[in-house]
Amino acid sequence: MLVAGIPLGGVSVLLFRRSLLVVPVLAVWACADSRAPSLGGNDDFGDPIRIGASPTRIVSLNPATTEILFTLGAGTRLIGRTKYDSWPDSAKLIPPLGDGIQPNVEAVLAVHPDLVILYASQDNRPAAGRFRAAGVNTLSLKVDHISDFRRSVLLLGAVLHDSARAKTVIDSVYRTLDRVRSATAHLTRPTVFWHIWDAPIITIGSGSFMNELVDIAGGKNVYADIAGPSAQVSLEDISRRDPEFILAGPIGKAQIASDPRWKIVRAARENRVFAVDTMVVARPSVRLGEAAVSLASLLHPGTLR
Amino acid sequence: MISVSDLVVSYPRAARNAVDGVSFVAASGKLTALAGPNGSGKSTIVRALLGRADILRGLVAVEGSDVRSLSLTELARRVAVVPQREEAAFPTKVRDYVALGRYPHLGLWRTASAADETAITDALEQAGVKALADRDTDALSGGEWQRVRIARALAQKAPALVLDEPTTFLDVAHEMAIFELLSSLARSGLAVLLVSHQLNLVARFADTIVLLNEGRIATSGPPSDVMKADRLESIYGWPVVITHDPAVGAPALVPLRRPRTLSDR
Amino acid sequence: MTRFRGWYWLFLIAALFAIVAIAVARGAVSVPLAAVFEALRGRGDPTVVAIVRDLRLPRVVLAALVGAGLAASGAALQGSLRNPLAEPYLLGVSGGAAVGAVIVFALGFTADFAVTLAAFVGSVAAVLLALAVSRVGARGQRADLRTLLVAGVIVGAFANAAIMVALAKAEPNTIRGALFWMMGSAADANWQRVGWLAASILVAGGALVYWAREIDVLSLGEETAASLGVNAEKSGRRVFLIAALLAAATVAVAGLVGFVGLVVPHIARRMGLRAHRPLVLAAALIGATLVVAADLAARTAAPPTELPLGAITALLGVPFFLVQLRRAA
Repeated sequence: MLVAGIPLGGVSVLLFRRSLLVVPVLAVWACADSRAPSLGGNDDFGDPIRIGASPTRIVSLNPATTEILFTLGAGTRLIGRTKYDSWPDSAKLIPPLGDGIQPNVEAVLAVHPDLVILYASQDNRPAAGRFRAAGVNTLSLKVDHISDFRRSVLLLGAVLHDSARAKTVIDSVYRTLDRVRSATAHLTRPTVFWHIWDAPIITIGSGSFMNELVDIAGGKNVYADIAGPSAQVSLEDISRRDPEFILAGPIGKAQIASDPRWKIVRAARENRVFAVDTMVVARPSVRLGEAAVSLASLLHPGTLR
Repeated sequence: MISVSDLVVSYPRAARNAVDGVSFVAASGKLTALAGPNGSGKSTIVRALLGRADILRGLVAVEGSDVRSLSLTELARRVAVVPQREEAAFPTKVRDYVALGRYPHLGLWRTASAADETAITDALEQAGVKALADRDTDALSGGEWQRVRIARALAQKAPALVLDEPTTFLDVAHEMAIFELLSSLARSGLAVLLVSHQLNLVARFADTIVLLNEGRIATSGPPSDVMKADRLESIYGWPVVITHDPAVGAPALVPLRRPRTLSDR
Repeated sequence: MTRFRGWYWLFLIAALFAIVAIAVARGAVSVPLAAVFEALRGRGDPTVVAIVRDLRLPRVVLAALVGAGLAASGAALQGSLRNPLAEPYLLGVSGGAAVGAVIVFALGFTADFAVTLAAFVGSVAAVLLALAVSRVGARGQRADLRTLLVAGVIVGAFANAAIMVALAKAEPNTIRGALFWMMGSAADANWQRVGWLAASILVAGGALVYWAREIDVLSLGEETAASLGVNAEKSGRRVFLIAALLAAATVAVAGLVGFVGLVVPHIARRMGLRAHRPLVLAAALIGATLVVAADLAARTAAPPTELPLGAITALLGVPFFLVQLRRAA
């Protein structure tokens, strides 16, 4: 999930820049497209995908696709990114061109890209249209789920004329995911509450790739019944669902520990709160395997060798 | 009694003083009229009386006390004012509106006493609006509304009453009725100071007219002294004749159609 | 105009108590009514006791206080500024509070008291700025009190612009924190916050009730007020400041809960109240009832999700307002 080009770990917030209003919208992008990649077909805005000469001047306006491009060995061809792209470290050397949602079209065109990769959210449609009108090959991709990751890697591999490498990347990530899945498959699945934000309390629903990660790691999201990627929930309801573990970022863990009201939740009271590395689990990208491994080792210590 | 002596008031960045050395007295039991063309300083004198205009020189005194030495509350107990304009944001019941006239008399907790209730009832009666007590202020006619406003001022039970153009938007009957009311209030012992440019009506009802022009007193005295055609012509810059009310003999001003030959005078 | 009758007070109080009782009894965990009463006295299942006494009760009381404060503030402002559209958030209170909150989020503080304090300081600063702007507008002359409203709107617009600029450059967590805060919520209630807000409301609300007769006089306009012994400028500024502080206290603990300060005073007026002493009190009761109901809806309308309180108050308030308008026509 992306917000103004920022991955928010399942929480989506729209910023309407043209009005004075700041309108937060929760859980609007419920489910991403899980179609099989149709190479030479259309991208997630329904625009035709052009596969021509391998692009050499790429602007990636989505941190997840930036990660993928680096793994596909195309990092040196990147000439622009959003200001939020931070992995791998060498991504920080690429000039930032601003936001990933409603990007500054002029600033992007000024660096003369031959491929612009956008995050396919509704408010990026005008930008996609403008890039195309300027004759720049544009690829708009939703990268919200693990299947989106797979599809994006295959597509980008095709566009870069390096499908072999794309398959390798996917294989490596999926092999790790499969290894974690099978290692935890026969284990009892502890219930998990994923604490995304403190005030108000925000958690993930089944629409988030983090829900998929919890499943793979052998856990069960107590809020899997929420269809959207995220939702605001109450302490009372959390206590009713009585999760065995709480996953939170380091800050969230500290907040849970310091707020006496959390004592109402047994897992908090009995100190079963795990801090996860929010940078690793932040986006459905090449670090998915790493994320699944780290979650599994928290939920089922000693299972993975 | 309201006495104004050698009053000078000036607004910032104004070319001349708005009021420039004006002296007069509005005596108890009398209806005193402050008349004059637009911009002659009538309303400024009312503002000075309420402490809403800075007095450069001179004195405005109510019942012998300098208004500048009085707190607004003390002043409100001595003189009740019906301002020219009043836009109530929300309509209210007439009786509740008139009750606001008791505000300067309320104690620390601002709750009404039996004496306040009596004063309110008296005021409604005096102004002839007792029957309207339960009506809403936004359901009144123009004439009723002015009477209710006068009732609110009467509820203040101040010895002096000042009204700024109370009949501006009224038809003849309502206008006359208001003037009759003011005249009877004066006879009952109040010092009534009326600001008006209705010179003819003023000439019929007032005991004294103070005629202002460009911030100074052009002339003052009983209507028969003030209503002189030559003087009024020069003040208003318009040819007039003075006739006499056929019934009571009060002087009346009739502005003339200006002859074309004089149009560039 | 409807006559306000004495028993309306009983009705208003009964309605508040009824909605408070329902709100304490209802929630994600279903607790039988008898157990709720037991829990209130600290008896029974410790989890239920904790849910009722530490989660629901402070939250319900906080919601009631927020509603009471905003509605009383709105009633006083509409009267003293003589504008039926005046409301606390229009006067820079919300904008200033949001600027304060965004600043602490940007500095990386997320602690309760830091955000609360910053929001409060921000809104007080904005209100003082509005007062200063209105003085500049008046150039030392005696200003029409309505300049205060214009000044508040200007400061609010400036604050909004400042927030947009700040958020455009901000880190993701800053944006998240600020946006969630702006949505308004009573979910973070605890007794400390309740106590803090209750004290503010007692002081500022009491002051408004004390000066309510003066607001009556102010609502007649500057000149009439002066003739009744009230210095409209001084008194109007005083009411403005107190009402703004009242709203600032609610914004500090619960973020932005829109529409209450605007609509509730009109509901009280439609019941036949005009004089500001009963009007402020009745508005406080109605506001409390409305926000407790809205928070109950926020908690229970779409389980297990909680909805933003500010959105619910507007959703409840707008139709109510329209019905009132229709009846008035």
